[in-house]
Amino acid sequence: MVKEKTFAFFLGCLMPNRYPAIEKATKFVMEKLGYELLDMKKAGCCPAPGVFRSFNKVDWMVAAARNLCIAEQLDTDILTVCNGCFGTLQEVNKHLKENEDHRIMVNEKLKLIGDYEFKGTINVRHIAEVLGYEIGPWGIEDIIVRKVNARAAVHYGCHFLKPTRIREIESSENPTIVEEYLEALGVESVRFKEQLTCCGAGGGVKAYSGDASMTIFGEKMKNIDEVKPDFILDICPFCHLQFETGQDYLNKNKDCNYNYPVIHISQLTAYCMGMDQEFVGLQYQLMGKNYIFGEREMKKEEEVI
Amino acid sequence: MSDVKEQHREYKTDEDFDEDFFKNIERKSNIWKCIQCGTCTASCESGRWTALKTRSIVRKVVLGDVSVLDDPDIWLCTTCYQCYERCPRDVRPTDVIMELRNYATKRGNISPNHRAVVGFLKTTGHAVPINDEVKKRRVELGLEELPPTLYKFKQEGDDNDLKNFEKYLFALPPIKEEEDKE
Repeated sequence: MVKEKTFAFFLGCLMPNRYPAIEKATKFVMEKLGYELLDMKKAGCCPAPGVFRSFNKVDWMVAAARNLCIAEQLDTDILTVCNGCFGTLQEVNKHLKENEDHRIMVNEKLKLIGDYEFKGTINVRHIAEVLGYEIGPWGIEDIIVRKVNARAAVHYGCHFLKPTRIREIESSENPTIVEEYLEALGVESVRFKEQLTCCGAGGGVKAYSGDASMTIFGEKMKNIDEVKPDFILDICPFCHLQFETGQDYLNKNKDCNYNYPVIHISQLTAYCMGMDQEFVGLQYQLMGKNYIFGEREMKKEEEVI
Repeated sequence: MSDVKEQHREYKTDEDFDEDFFKNIERKSNIWKCIQCGTCTASCESGRWTALKTRSIVRKVVLGDVSVLDDPDIWLCTTCYQCYERCPRDVRPTDVIMELRNYATKRGNISPNHRAVVGFLKTTGHAVPINDEVKKRRVELGLEELPPTLYKFKQEGDDNDLKNFEKYLFALPPIKEEEDKE
């Protein structure tokens, strides 16, 4: 049995190395929710499901299994905040639990890397699923201290829900988990055209062909711009990077004038739980540096008065 | 379809036809079930803007056409899994493309940018390594300057795991010499 109310916190690459504010916010949120987050010493890249799986699927599984072993040794489930890390770790974890041949093969190769053996004792969780289902909109109401009165364009990304047969979270064609959660934080989710398509960064495309990646992203931004949200809300630091650098690219190269703040679900939740705006870290980001969350009193307090 | 058949024959006599390639992909996916309905291409976000045509890629695999491994289009899939979700025959085209990329990599078809990413993983343990500006931000936010990942332990002199990454994982074939393309 894994420890309750404890997670091995898997950092990945983009969160600690590009958007540390998301890391700060996630730690803040989980602590407020009464969870303990354990460091995963010597964890590495998940490795990314788009690029590294493309080069060598076996080595991709071995490197992922190494990360899983670190959490197994801590005897806790893994928490990730990134669709890519979730995609890799959840998929490899599930696959190796089910496929004995591959488990033996991967364990053989793992011995070459270090003192690791995949046993299959833990699960991998994504923060959006922990917040959306385990805590839930019903539970978060009691913990937050303020709501944000804003309209958000929600971007799910791809690997949180898909492939649905492996993730088993909810339908990928019409998901509502994030929208329902945001409602509890006071945020209205605005629908926009082709909301569930890819941001264009995944699959190694951002590295392989920046042009193709930006063309896909340009269409995404056009659709978002039509509904004029206050900010873009994502659940993945890689989509986060694409929305940040992508808007910058479109402004500089395609005659656009976008300035939508890009906010991760952890950052928004932490703010609603009382973390200072400066730790949300918008000042470090390229877009919407001066955006201030529109604050409004909580209903509960109004009732008391 | 007649020209497709013709191509089929052509490839069968081509010395480049690789039976192992075909059998392997067949074992790892459901390509035989493909009825060429085109749901994959119609669902493809990348294909809307690029030359990526998932349906014809799957067709080429079924025909054992190894030229698909040199096709740059297989690298334009963003792995969004929309085709995978919608395929009525459960062909799992995303998995097929992943297998193709594995084969293409073995043949040395890797873009320089992708090589660089592999290099980052082998030297720092991250696909995206940290930089000085982010280190400063981390301190400002009250986080440790370096996250407790492989890179930090490398700085502290313990980089056994990283050395083993370098040695045993993601060995890439040497860079192809420029072929004369007439």
